[in-house]
Amino acid sequence: MSFLERQLEDPVRFARIKRWFYRCLAAVVVAEIVVLVMLALDRIFPASNLGEKFHVGDPHVLFEWIPAWGSLYGLASCWLIIVVSKFLGKKWLMRREDYYDLLDG
Amino acid sequence: MPLEFANLEWIHPGLVLILGAWVIPLLGGGLKRFAMLLVPAVALAVCLGMTPGIYGEVSFLGQDLVFGRVDRLSLVFSYVFSIMAFLGMVYALHVKDDAQHVTALTYAGGALGVTLAGDFLSLYVFWELMAISSALLVFQRREPAAVAAGFRYLLVHVVGGLILLAGIVLHASQSPDGSLDFARMDPFAEGMGWGPALILVAFLLNAAVPPLGAWLPDAYPEASVTGAIFMTAFTTKSAVYALIRGFPGTELLIWLGAFMAVYGVVYAVLENDARRLLAYHIISQVGYMVCGVGMGTELAINGASAHAFAHILYKSLLFMGAGAVLQMTGLRKLSDMGGLYKTMPFTLGLYMIGAFAISAVPLFSGFVSKSMVVSAAGEEHLELIFLLLTLASAGTFLHTGLKLPYYMFFGKDSGVRGQEPPANMLVAMGLAAAACILIGVLPGLLYDHLPNDVAYHPYTLHHITSTLGMLGFTAMGFFLLLKHLDPEPKISLDVDWIYRKAAAPLRIMAEGPLAHLESGFVGEIYEFVMRRPVLGAAGLLRKLDMHVVDNAIVAVGWLIQAFSQILKISVTGNAQHYGLIMAAGVLVLLALAMVAL
Repeated sequence: MSFLERQLEDPVRFARIKRWFYRCLAAVVVAEIVVLVMLALDRIFPASNLGEKFHVGDPHVLFEWIPAWGSLYGLASCWLIIVVSKFLGKKWLMRREDYYDLLDG
Repeated sequence: MPLEFANLEWIHPGLVLILGAWVIPLLGGGLKRFAMLLVPAVALAVCLGMTPGIYGEVSFLGQDLVFGRVDRLSLVFSYVFSIMAFLGMVYALHVKDDAQHVTALTYAGGALGVTLAGDFLSLYVFWELMAISSALLVFQRREPAAVAAGFRYLLVHVVGGLILLAGIVLHASQSPDGSLDFARMDPFAEGMGWGPALILVAFLLNAAVPPLGAWLPDAYPEASVTGAIFMTAFTTKSAVYALIRGFPGTELLIWLGAFMAVYGVVYAVLENDARRLLAYHIISQVGYMVCGVGMGTELAINGASAHAFAHILYKSLLFMGAGAVLQMTGLRKLSDMGGLYKTMPFTLGLYMIGAFAISAVPLFSGFVSKSMVVSAAGEEHLELIFLLLTLASAGTFLHTGLKLPYYMFFGKDSGVRGQEPPANMLVAMGLAAAACILIGVLPGLLYDHLPNDVAYHPYTLHHITSTLGMLGFTAMGFFLLLKHLDPEPKISLDVDWIYRKAAAPLRIMAEGPLAHLESGFVGEIYEFVMRRPVLGAAGLLRKLDMHVVDNAIVAVGWLIQAFSQILKISVTGNAQHYGLIMAAGVLVLLALAMVAL
């Protein structure tokens, strides 16, 4: 059994991976908010030069100022893409695999 | 003099590929494999050695053709096209079919020709060369489905080529000096006429912009495992190059590009065929480039070029991974796969590098290229475009980074145990993966070669954290909605429905009423105009033959027979008679001699 197989097939180990996954997600959300605070401080106190010192970057669009914007929009996009595509597929686009063959037969 | 060559010291890298390809069938064994790598390597070296300028000027029928317009824009595309030709040949090294190698290199040569063309006539020649050679790559899988898809592909591109030709002719006829220079055009300017608009349509068709792009997911998954690698690289990206050259800042392209980015993602949700899913993501990714061309700012043009460069490498890597699975297991549908990570860990690892690159994970190539286009949209305050492109980015990770590897390599174990592919395929994937990481870690390597001098820093805290947040929560959404994502053994309708299904009444009409009309009306005309006069003339000729020619021959026969009867009397076979005749002859000669003297 390879390393990867052991990690995935053992329920205890798999649960541990899952926990770490959620911890990482939480860390990313915290990091996003910290960066936003740094950006805000940089705007309020331009003299601090925080932005340049830490390569913070520069959001161009207004809604990038929403806390944890990336995480929220990622989750929303994922949900939206799946729901809308599946709806379009079921109602309109999806056909049997032999749909085009039937014509030639 | 109609043909005049100048600058013969310049070698066209496309010509190196197109002519060099014909050496491969002449060689065998190791020498053949060496040539397969040498030809694209020489082309790459030629590209790397090119310096900006105008080369290969040819005066032909009063037109000045430019085969080598070398500037920063054409250079960066020529680099990636020749690198791709090399990677593709490494991946195809084990294939025994010489025809595929010749076709693939010709196709890559055509792409280099398009990239370096300075006028529309030479552009058109290479454009058509690409259409024909890439159609051959589809045919060369030599299966009924591939042949059918190949014909559809060829028909679409023949139509596209005709539109391009019509546009070029109109454009040239309207330009003040009839010039064919391939330069920036404005299709919506007053008094420009239809020329630039038709040229734009032809470019959009090759860039697979909906609704003109259904040929791509129709044909690419039907090509051979190795042929598909070449196809992912050249047609759409040479069209992106042509758009950058001809139509930067055309606003329509911003909206088409953003729509395209989302459209590819929607279809990818529904798709069950692994390579077709990836093909829809080509459309999605080319959407970013088209969008960048539409914005037309220096940063956006740089972004479109950089993204084309990065995209060619990671998309070929993804197709190589899916191709390896197809080759080793014979499976192409996600619903049949699962559990392959146990026996194909290297393929999985290399595929995932491509998946991270296309998903714009930090430290991979997509992160440093895609973000330029998205940032350009932000700088231009195009909020909706920004949102659509970011949404498509989440969708890309959702499918190429999560859904496809999950169902292919993990998921429910299908019991299929594919082995790792041949070493050369893994090496090609390794090289492409290395390039994806190299560009991601050292973006300066790519940025130094972009057409415009613009400072851009992808690695800012804000960009890294928001990207990680977006990707992480997309992954969470994926695992939460997993049961809704199970691939279904279905196909999805696309615009190709129009010529595959809606055209059926047309075909039925062609087979029924039109055929009747043909046999009734055209057939009658044929009967009276062609068949009867021809038959009449033939009858006359036959009579002439029977009565004149035959009798003449019979008469000759009679004459010969009569003559031989006479001859028979003299030829008795008796020695005395011959002696007598000879003696008589001698006497006659003597008598003649005496009379004469």
